[in-house]
Amino acid sequence: MLETVDLSKSFKGNKAVQNVNLYLDQGESVGLLGPNGAGKSTTISMMSTLLKPTSGEIKLNGANTLGKPDELRKVLGVVPQEIALYQELSAYENLRFFGSIYNLKGQKLEKRIQDALEMVGLKDRQKGIVKTFSGGMKRRINIAAALLHEPEILILDEPTVGIDPQSRNHILETVKNLNKEKGTTILYTSHYMEEVEQLCDRLYIMDHGAVIAAGTKLELLSILSSEDTNKVELNHLDESFIQEVKDMEGISKVEASNLQLKIIAKKGSNLISNLVHLAEKHHVQIVNFHTETPSLEDVFLHLTGRTLRD
Amino acid sequence: MSHFIKKDLLIFWRDRKETLIALLLPILLIIVLNFALSGVMSDDEDNQLDLHLGIVNQDDQEVAMTVLQEKLVNEASFTEANALAVSESMYALQPVDQLFAYFNSEEIKDFVTVQKLDEDEANQRVEDGELDGILVIPEGYTAETLYSSITGEAPAAQLRYKLENNTNENNILFNVIDGFIDQLNYQFALSKVEGSENAIVHAPQGGVETVETHTPFTLTVAQYYAVTMGALFALFLAATVAIKTGEEIRQQVVNRIYISNAHPTQFLMGKMVSTFCLAWVQLLFVLLTSNFLLDVFPDRSASFWAGLMIIITLIALSIAGLSAAFTSLSLRVKNIDAANGLFMFVVIILGAIGGGFVPVYILPNWLQQIGEWTPNGLALVIYTDWVQNETVSSILLSSLLLVGFFLLLVVIGILLYPKRGNAK
Ligand SMILES: Nc1ncnc2c1ncn2[C@@H]1O[C@H](COP(=O)(O)OP(=O)(O)OP(=O)(O)O)[C@@H](O)[C@H]1O
Ligand SMILES: [Mg+2]
Repeated sequence: MLETVDLSKSFKGNKAVQNVNLYLDQGESVGLLGPNGAGKSTTISMMSTLLKPTSGEIKLNGANTLGKPDELRKVLGVVPQEIALYQELSAYENLRFFGSIYNLKGQKLEKRIQDALEMVGLKDRQKGIVKTFSGGMKRRINIAAALLHEPEILILDEPTVGIDPQSRNHILETVKNLNKEKGTTILYTSHYMEEVEQLCDRLYIMDHGAVIAAGTKLELLSILSSEDTNKVELNHLDESFIQEVKDMEGISKVEASNLQLKIIAKKGSNLISNLVHLAEKHHVQIVNFHTETPSLEDVFLHLTGRTLRD
Repeated sequence: MSHFIKKDLLIFWRDRKETLIALLLPILLIIVLNFALSGVMSDDEDNQLDLHLGIVNQDDQEVAMTVLQEKLVNEASFTEANALAVSESMYALQPVDQLFAYFNSEEIKDFVTVQKLDEDEANQRVEDGELDGILVIPEGYTAETLYSSITGEAPAAQLRYKLENNTNENNILFNVIDGFIDQLNYQFALSKVEGSENAIVHAPQGGVETVETHTPFTLTVAQYYAVTMGALFALFLAATVAIKTGEEIRQQVVNRIYISNAHPTQFLMGKMVSTFCLAWVQLLFVLLTSNFLLDVFPDRSASFWAGLMIIITLIALSIAGLSAAFTSLSLRVKNIDAANGLFMFVVIILGAIGGGFVPVYILPNWLQQIGEWTPNGLALVIYTDWVQNETVSSILLSSLLLVGFFLLLVVIGILLYPKRGNAK
């Protein structure tokens, strides 16, 4: 339904987005993951016709939308990363205004406003001035404002950042309902792996402006299928010990925090006996050891060398 | 478009403190300035004044009756008997005596001191700065004035008012003397001419002839600020509207508007119409409240007030135009703070040279002339003219110019308006 072809954007020579290819099929729910500055918001700005790409195309049902954004704008709803609301107006007045700029009027507008408020669970607070709302409530109204014209595609840019668990759950529920019950196509951006795992059929992982991996959860996990994640707890940490662990054969990543080592190693690389051997040499005691089945978080770490919220 | 207007008005309404300040501060300033500046500008209710007038009487009242009689016979074909009867009855009017009596009257004596002098002496005293002006009663004044009131011809001799330079004190003296002429005319109109059926009394056509430059008409302090102060705050309103646009950009609501496919100029038109409404209400409020508190326009007609409404409308239009240009610029620039600073700067400059802070009269001439090319300065010209003359024809051209200003600014606003965000 919507796809980008070699989408790129440079800001004064700084390449924020490079050759991004992604697509959304009708009714899909797709996640876009990446650490800070990965280029997620820039990609979304281009897809939502707000930012002009340096090169590349954005296609709606096969037709290029650059220079003629009207069709795309009609089917698109965007929940921006920042709260885009009139702080001085009430929730209701905001929705009324944002609904009427989509040419909604009268009874229909009123019904859409109430539906949207219902969906984000703020029907009883609609008279309140946005300025006086909590962060979570503002985020929910921010979402409601993008739903009034019942868009076929909804793009959400980190809609749950910095809010309480209750609001967060509400938002996740809302997005899930939109996707499952109304068939809205979703592009969901987040720092939170578990949100994306829960909501999305498919996901893209971005880093340094490029998509570095894409696929369903299982597909992504299979990247790590030849490797294991091992957690080792030690009685004390020794730099030279860590260095020697890193240099061992079959080790692709070592992360140390407190007294824990997280080691990603090839399957069957004889990790345990090598580790015991090294520990004796450095007079380090292994307190605990276990092997984990890999998570998407591990895939991310593997691909970017960073955790999601570095 | 109505939802854009409603939204903008609502946002203003929510900021009630600011709205209240915008409405009440001008009133407060007008009251303060009215008391502070009354002495500086010509305000004839001011009795703190102490003016010195030298009167040079070159007229010989003794011979006036004879001269008048001869003139009536020779030039107006009166019979001897008729001429005698008419001039005897008119002679009692004695304009020169009335002039002195006028300056001696209670209300004038309070602030004008009169000295009778000969011309050289008087000139000397003006130079020394002891006198504010000289009034010369020319030779034959009595006879000529009476003759002209009988025949209706323009008098050959008029009072001559000499002023050293064009100061406010002089303007007041001029007004005082003018007041005398009015009074004299009234006297003539009342007096009945006895013994003559065909002689009708005409009020003399002449008046005071100023020797130096003509005194420009000036508004009272209250009149001046009742409109300029409103216009000044309306200018600030245009800047405020643009700053609020900056706020909308920061709050990213502008992006929402862009992607909604709303017609691009709706946003701009919404700003303009709401600015127009706000500016109009503000101007009207300031004008009416100051009139209520200070009695700025006592006894003016309904049509005079209708004219004022039109002038207010013109000012509000030009302010709306300004806000359109500002808004588009806001949407264009990278640095919103710098743009806001620029808007304030422009508004303060316009306000200053257009006479919003201090009366234009005290600005240097060249600056006054530039000031007339600012929307508020031009509005002041129109307004002054209307207060003085109350004729549509004399304000028509400048009014059209102000409408032109408005249109120009709107065109600038539309041209500068970014085409649907930068991602078309
Ligand atoms: N208007 C801009 N001018 C210059 N550089 C920009 C601009 N917008 C974004 N960038 C740069 O582009 C890169 C990508 O930014 P972007 O906001 O897309 O990241 P993101 O993935 O959304 O990050 P976050 O998770 O923090 O929201 C960053 O290095 C950022 O500094
Ligand atoms: Mg972002």
